[in-house]
Amino acid sequence: MKSQEARPPRLADQFLEWYCGHASIEDLQGDAHELFFKNLKTMSKRRAKINYWKHILSLAFSYTIRKRKKKASYYYLSGSTFHPAMLKNYLVVASRNLVRHKFFTALNVLGLAIGMSISLLLIAMLSFLWTYDEFHVNKDRIHRVISISKDGDRNREFASAPAVIAENLQHEFSDIESVVRINKFSTNVVGDGSEIPVLSYFVDPEFFNVFSFPLIKGRGAIAFKNSNTAFLTQHAATKLFGDEDPIGKVIDLSNIGPVEISGLLQDPPKNSHMQFEVLLPYQLLLSLPQNQNILGQDEFWPFRNSYLYLSVSDHGSIDQLEKLINKIPASVYTDKENYALLFELQALKDIAPGRELTNQIGPDWDYPALAIFMVLTLLILLPACFNYANISISRALKRMKEIGLRKTLGGQQSQIFLQFIMETIIITLIALFLSFYIFTLIREEFVSMIVSAESLDLTPDLRTMGGFLLFAVLVGIIAGIVPAIYFSRLNPIQALKSKPIGRKLAHFNFRKVLIVFQFALSLGFIMGVVVVMNQYRYSLNYDFGFDQENVLDVELQNVNPQLFKNEFTKLGSVQSISMSSGIAGASGSQPVWVKNEAADSIEVAQMFIDHQYISNMNLKLLAGKNFVDNKISHKAVIVNEEFLKDFHIPNAIEAIDQTYFIDKNTSVTVIGVIKNFHYADLRYPIQSFFFRFDPEQFHFANVRVASPDMASTLSDMERAWKKIGEEKKFMARFFDDEIKEAYSFYFAMVKICGFLGFLAISISCLGLLGMVVFTVESRMKEVGVRKVMGASVWNITVALSKDFVKLMFIAAIVAIPVAYTFFEKVYLTMQQFYHINIGAFEIILSLIIVFLLGLITILSQTIKAAKVNPVDTLRYE
Amino acid sequence: MKEYLGEFEELVLLTVASLSGDAYGVSIKENIEKRTNRNISLGALHSTITKLEEKRHLKSWLGEPTQERGGRRKRYFELTHEGKVALHQMKSLRDDLWKLSKATLSLSK
Repeated sequence: MKSQEARPPRLADQFLEWYCGHASIEDLQGDAHELFFKNLKTMSKRRAKINYWKHILSLAFSYTIRKRKKKASYYYLSGSTFHPAMLKNYLVVASRNLVRHKFFTALNVLGLAIGMSISLLLIAMLSFLWTYDEFHVNKDRIHRVISISKDGDRNREFASAPAVIAENLQHEFSDIESVVRINKFSTNVVGDGSEIPVLSYFVDPEFFNVFSFPLIKGRGAIAFKNSNTAFLTQHAATKLFGDEDPIGKVIDLSNIGPVEISGLLQDPPKNSHMQFEVLLPYQLLLSLPQNQNILGQDEFWPFRNSYLYLSVSDHGSIDQLEKLINKIPASVYTDKENYALLFELQALKDIAPGRELTNQIGPDWDYPALAIFMVLTLLILLPACFNYANISISRALKRMKEIGLRKTLGGQQSQIFLQFIMETIIITLIALFLSFYIFTLIREEFVSMIVSAESLDLTPDLRTMGGFLLFAVLVGIIAGIVPAIYFSRLNPIQALKSKPIGRKLAHFNFRKVLIVFQFALSLGFIMGVVVVMNQYRYSLNYDFGFDQENVLDVELQNVNPQLFKNEFTKLGSVQSISMSSGIAGASGSQPVWVKNEAADSIEVAQMFIDHQYISNMNLKLLAGKNFVDNKISHKAVIVNEEFLKDFHIPNAIEAIDQTYFIDKNTSVTVIGVIKNFHYADLRYPIQSFFFRFDPEQFHFANVRVASPDMASTLSDMERAWKKIGEEKKFMARFFDDEIKEAYSFYFAMVKICGFLGFLAISISCLGLLGMVVFTVESRMKEVGVRKVMGASVWNITVALSKDFVKLMFIAAIVAIPVAYTFFEKVYLTMQQFYHINIGAFEIILSLIIVFLLGLITILSQTIKAAKVNPVDTLRYE
Repeated sequence: MKEYLGEFEELVLLTVASLSGDAYGVSIKENIEKRTNRNISLGALHSTITKLEEKRHLKSWLGEPTQERGGRRKRYFELTHEGKVALHQMKSLRDDLWKLSKATLSLSK
């Protein structure tokens, strides 16, 4: 036999190759061939051929082939053939493309930059929060005792804890190295005629061993043995003494007395959850007359502003320690029914950001707020990414030839995939620059919008910058993955023919959904702005239950109230004057806990007024008497209707002469009942409240004026003030302005909502623009034919725009009920007690804004297309 | 033992080890056939090899094109460290059992 004839059966080879498709089987086929030729030496050609078939069939059904086929089916993701040299080519092609299609590049970069800018804020914020309290040397050993009080069905979680258990902790648990008691206290430094508020902490001397707040000058913990001493931070020292050396100076603190400054501290870093200006020895707090009982067992419950920090020696025993500590309250609260107090230990690193707690020591960063911010960020970022995907796929026609050629010349799916991912990353990196610029623009504004603003530092450091870069690459991958898969799957024959892909646009529905989603989102944000603005207007015009017109509030600044009254009643335009400790309807007052023999203690808001306040403000006395001039009684109170309800008193008359306790030594007697009014701003419901009479507490004079010429009245007043106010500035504001100020938080919300709305609508308009341009481009021939057949510009514009307008209608139908429910249920809980409902006005106004912007976007393209000369589009047909 | 090693799998592993560097489809097949006197199909052999590769007991690479196979490359196989460990464990298990059952297994009765 001739050797040429002796070859394996061709049919078997063809079968195997066909069966395996893309999978590589070179080595297996080789094995079969080798066996065949070896067999030829020992057996007949026929036997060898049969044998060959057997092997081929056994291979076809083998696990090996099955696996290789599976692997081959998505080998564009496995990317085994990667040549670094191609990177350069991708870069060149990408940059050429970016330059050639300037419009789309700008569209993409702008959209992504806007979408990313708010994420940059989030990253900078998270990166800053990450460093919170990291500067303490003992950070792993410090824990805070937090309390959870269960009162009936009311659960409250406090960051504070009763100071009295410190003794027990110190003595009974050997695992605890030291216990630091801290008491937050706002006080004023009394100078000659001025009072400068400072935030002070009373702390145990161990404070300096446990925490790392470095001293600049002074003797440290030893100085705290002497109780009349104080440590200042750099900031407070500059505030009080300028550049002078504060050591050895004596300052007078209101409610505390004179203390000598014996230490200068560095300012607490911004990323510390404790923020203070003055440190005072805890001994001093205990020696103050009003705090004699602070460590008595009776005073167990009021633990406002009292904090306990532990330094624990063994890290593993926290759970056990927690159990032991919880034995303390059980022995103390035997008399109270339905009341339980639980303690938990919170590690320093869990404090900020941490769980939501009442009565925080410093700025708090709780998880729910951060989560909301994250969701908002994603709501802005994701649409921007999808836009990119949309626009890229829309432009597929332009890149078809290139991809077809690449594939024909051996470009694999994985390579084309990589190329498009890289192109996207290049775009996101460019967008990052723009986005960073936006970030620096909005950073300050953003920081000032957040509550704990002064403790937030968003200046990016090296790590944050690294985070930004990483984020840009990540966004590139997210945004690029859909177009990259799409392009890498293109069939080269179709691609080279530039076959229109409109027919099999599987993504088309996805894009419609996207447009609807984006417009619904924009509508939501814009509705938010409108609702908040309306709510603001409503709050200003709300009937607070008292007469707010023409009342000028003058800050007393320690001027004797009687002196003030004497001077100001001389002015002709002044009708009446009253005194108060706060401003009703604007500022919240420090509440007190009140109880009587029968009832549990109840939180009661209070305000100190004089006898003229009630008539001056037109408040209505329901029963009893007003305060009497010259007969100052610290014991008399005038309560509101809500107070009666809380203490289960059926009618106003019965309340008169009832006695209540504010603390162990202070009792008050009800002399009158007043109709409910809004003593605090409208975010808070009307709750138990009473008036007390104490000239010591007066901070404001409420001057009712009636004058046609307000300017001259004011200058008259200023002159009168000069006589009594010494050198101090005359500070007076109309009640209306105070109210406006009290609701300024609405402006912050309008800003946030407006800003997010602006971002959302920019992104959706950019996305819409991309899609309209694509649709118009692919329908140019149709437009040409229609024009030749006699359609007018208007007809064509309508035909082209119709689909998009329909989408916007769908968006409106989807968005309105969702946004409506959201604002009714969630948003207005900020002012849940007294708010307006959302009406047709808000909805229609937001709709008009969104539709206007959307229509401008659509028509700008469709009208242009409708005006094109049909000769240009049909020339090549 | 983390993964069960079948009888045929063990045989293939040991054969690959014995061929030291010259282990590819045909050579493995012929070696096993010669020693055990049984017929193995290419499909069965490669299925087992693939499974062993998945278990990371074997690694492979493509060699140079050869004339006798019509220019097709051979895929060579080699034991990995895990493969060696698995064989050692198998052997020590057997040795233990053999030691224990020496008396019963004794053929010279």
